[in-house]
Amino acid sequence: MARPHRPLPTLSRRRMLALGGVGALGASLAACGDNTGREGSSDQDAAGSSGGRPSIAQWYHQYGEEGTQEAVRRYAADYEAADVTVFWKPGDYDQTTAASLLTDAGPDVFEYGNGPTIDMIRGDQVADLTDLFGDTLDDFTPSLIERMTYDGKIWAVPQVLDMQVLVYRRSMLEGAGIDAPQQIPELVAAARELTRGDVKGLFLGNDGGAGLMGGPMLWAAGLDYLDGEQVGFDSAGAPEALSVLRTLWTDESLLLGQAKDWFDPDALISGRTAMQWTGLWTFPAISDALGDDFGAIPWPSMEGGSPSVPVGAYGSCVSTRAADVQAAKDFVRWLWIDQTDKQLDFATSYGFHVPSRVSLVPEADVLASGPAADAAGYVTEFGHAQTPLLWTPQCATAWSDMMSRVVRDGADPQEELDALVPVVEAELERVTG
Amino acid sequence: MLARLRGRHDVNLWFWVFVGPFFAGLVLFIYVPIGWSVYLSFFEAYNTVTPTEFVGLANYRDMLADPAFRDSLLTFVVFAAFIVPTTFALSLLTALLVARTRVMQAFFRSVFFLPVACSYVVAALIWKMSIFSGMRSGAANALLGLVGLDPVPWLSITDPPWYWLVIVSARLWLQVGFYMILFLAALQRVPTNLYEAAAIDGAEGWQVFRHITWPQLLPASTAVLLLLLINAFQAFDEFYNILAGFGGYPPYARPPLVYLYYTALGSGQNFGDGSAGAVILTVLIAVVALAQTRLLRLGGRD
Amino acid sequence: MLHERRRYAVLRWTLLLLGTVLFLLPFALLLRGALSTEADLTSGTWHWLPPTWEWGNLSAVLDNQTVPLGRALLNSTVIAVSQTVGVLVLSGMAGYGLARIPYRWSGVVFWLITVTLLIPAAVTFVPSFVLVSSLGWISTLRGLIVPGLFQALATFLFRQFFLSFPREIEEAAALDGLSWWGTFWRVVVPNSGGFAAAIGTITFIGSWNAFLWPLVIGRTPESWTVQVALSTYLTAQTSQVSLLFMAALVAILPLLLMFLLLQRWIVQGVERTGISD
Repeated sequence: MARPHRPLPTLSRRRMLALGGVGALGASLAACGDNTGREGSSDQDAAGSSGGRPSIAQWYHQYGEEGTQEAVRRYAADYEAADVTVFWKPGDYDQTTAASLLTDAGPDVFEYGNGPTIDMIRGDQVADLTDLFGDTLDDFTPSLIERMTYDGKIWAVPQVLDMQVLVYRRSMLEGAGIDAPQQIPELVAAARELTRGDVKGLFLGNDGGAGLMGGPMLWAAGLDYLDGEQVGFDSAGAPEALSVLRTLWTDESLLLGQAKDWFDPDALISGRTAMQWTGLWTFPAISDALGDDFGAIPWPSMEGGSPSVPVGAYGSCVSTRAADVQAAKDFVRWLWIDQTDKQLDFATSYGFHVPSRVSLVPEADVLASGPAADAAGYVTEFGHAQTPLLWTPQCATAWSDMMSRVVRDGADPQEELDALVPVVEAELERVTG
Repeated sequence: MLARLRGRHDVNLWFWVFVGPFFAGLVLFIYVPIGWSVYLSFFEAYNTVTPTEFVGLANYRDMLADPAFRDSLLTFVVFAAFIVPTTFALSLLTALLVARTRVMQAFFRSVFFLPVACSYVVAALIWKMSIFSGMRSGAANALLGLVGLDPVPWLSITDPPWYWLVIVSARLWLQVGFYMILFLAALQRVPTNLYEAAAIDGAEGWQVFRHITWPQLLPASTAVLLLLLINAFQAFDEFYNILAGFGGYPPYARPPLVYLYYTALGSGQNFGDGSAGAVILTVLIAVVALAQTRLLRLGGRD
Repeated sequence: MLHERRRYAVLRWTLLLLGTVLFLLPFALLLRGALSTEADLTSGTWHWLPPTWEWGNLSAVLDNQTVPLGRALLNSTVIAVSQTVGVLVLSGMAGYGLARIPYRWSGVVFWLITVTLLIPAAVTFVPSFVLVSSLGWISTLRGLIVPGLFQALATFLFRQFFLSFPREIEEAAALDGLSWWGTFWRVVVPNSGGFAAAIGTITFIGSWNAFLWPLVIGRTPESWTVQVALSTYLTAQTSQVSLLFMAALVAILPLLLMFLLLQRWIVQGVERTGISD
């Protein structure tokens, strides 16, 4: 092979680079990063000089509903007292946000699923927002406030209430002569019955519901993750409840391997499944595609339990590392407490969500009829907080690993649950001790 | 010779002018982090990197007692047991095929080498969304459909663990070309008179390979094995991009780095345990690599 | 004998052609995905070619606000170019110093450098993250570039290369009164172009395709590299698969072109690393 001989670029520049590199290295050790990720983002009108107004970086996870991003940017632009820059963050939002709170590159205001984690609160990473509510506190859905309260203080403002339900294709159930299932055995039978060829009876996510359905199965058996500050799944009925998901799995009634997972209505709309567990937010897309050929029911119950729907809310939090904590809190109050018309718009114009303020629910016309009204009605009757506050990320990981082993590998639920108890107890000890 | 032309003082100064910038950076970005990591591993450190609570060896005990950590080591062993011999065999085979082909040799070399330009992220995308998509329209399922079989959700099921097929085949596609080049280089250095002598002796195909080619390839083979092993240890990209989803990462096929990533940098922010795990891994890898280089030396070439 | 040979040839060609199909298929699928409509891609039927050619995906990706691909391409380019230049300068100088300057502790320094080769950089990502975040470099280009400038392997290879560099030239330069510095830049560097190009190309590819470090450090969309941007949408809640394919295509095109043009040097670089000796 010939050796190409090409002189490299001129010396002087390279020499400067080499020597400059040494100096820069030394200088940078003393310096601290000045790029905090808070410069104006490329897609906003250049705000120019802020005229002494504080700058606020606000983070959202990537909502799948069309138009959400534009909406939150509009809200931010309407705020007069500060320059708010919206950061739209796809991917593993919970993980990256938690990690960013440690650094100066983190957000000032950010949303987090069901409010901040117990470790964020105990680590002083989020500000106490109790005083923002004033006399509006009674107007917020109590279960949401309760979920974001620790130590008598409220740590986040619930933005909108999200819920998940079981959606089914009316025509497919009628065609098979099946009623919407109300008990778990009926659900298992229906899923089996509706599975024909490439069409499956039920879609609970690409992992067969391992990541999603643990809670609803516990509630179906009248249990929960935690009972106050105690383990709540350590009793009779829990193993049986979890093994239902394994039964669905081995029956091969579950749809798997979809390009778009449970949070997208694609599988149901395309007719690859007769029933799908998904969020209320998908309803506009479903009714566009199917008209009124769908219905919504809560997750069915077992002996000793009741039907259930998981209810959660992204809560707006303020980082204690914010450049100006007070300005950040003022913005949160303005957007998520004062601006009720924006809250209503956010809840109902981009996929369906239930407003977190009780007084706004009647104003949400889209939730007034049809399956959306049914679903919204389940919140008060069958709603459960998705996970309790003391259920730490470590508990959640250990739980979902356990679920995956039970559902996908056929591990023995009793043994798995027994092994999980000390893990959860150790975590409870850590955060309450 | 050159040293005599310059003063001793000069030598010290010039050595550090040349080596200093690089060495300073290496100390700062390799030695300091490792030192810090060792320090952190003796503390309880949730959501902070300047901890105060000394816990002695508790983190190490936790990690070694943690079934998930031990599982990740086992995952690595299984993965290495798959990928190292397979890549080795396929790279050697393609190198031999390409080396023996006079017509269009450059073309074939390019074909096998091209995927090296592709990143693991892009490969993961093609494998997850196109080849091994769980839907009827995935390439693998379309192939099964031809012979009348049902579509398989490759990444959803654990029994049989088809996800290994997805992960291993992606890595093979990306790696084989690189190691093929190494073997090709080694093949070119085999003296031709050896082949001529073998031809006179009437040796054919397999015999030539066994008695002439293979012994000449030994040093290259040892190097390739070491590289393959170290690369397998660093596996992260394709595992993360193929298996991670919006809901996190499944409890299987978690190699050590994926486990550490979620422990230390995920929402758990557990730097104490994460650092202890990193120290354990570093020691393991260093031991394996040292043992390997010893073997390499025994191979007779440096 | 002849039969034997012919059978070998048939077998060899069969394997080669099969391999060619298998190795090129993923590229074909990437291209197909990038030019398909979303509906065709997520439908349940297999097509060899897109039923409807969707040329709009390209502009859709480039204009798309949620996939900041332009910025990511710029970041990747800046990072890869800076790291390539930086590694060549730093490791080239260090390799030369270690190979030629008879300093008393040179052996110790060399040992301290090579011992880090045994520790894969990826394993130190936790402590490195800690260090970089203490410096306040999270989500900055500095944090993405600087830690990758110190490649022990490149220094090791440069040292090997300079050890085999003909001494006579350098000695002539020394007699002309050139210092170490002058000798290196005026005599040695101009004669090391081929080797530097090989090391540079390999560094560039590694840098462009790096994923774990940019993922750990790049925590804001402004600091994403191409690989992180792609990965983010691959694991995101909702994304358009067709746009993802198009973005991936755009991301690997520059490298594929570079590969086809510079393949000879890259191959040479891989061979020259000397590991197969």
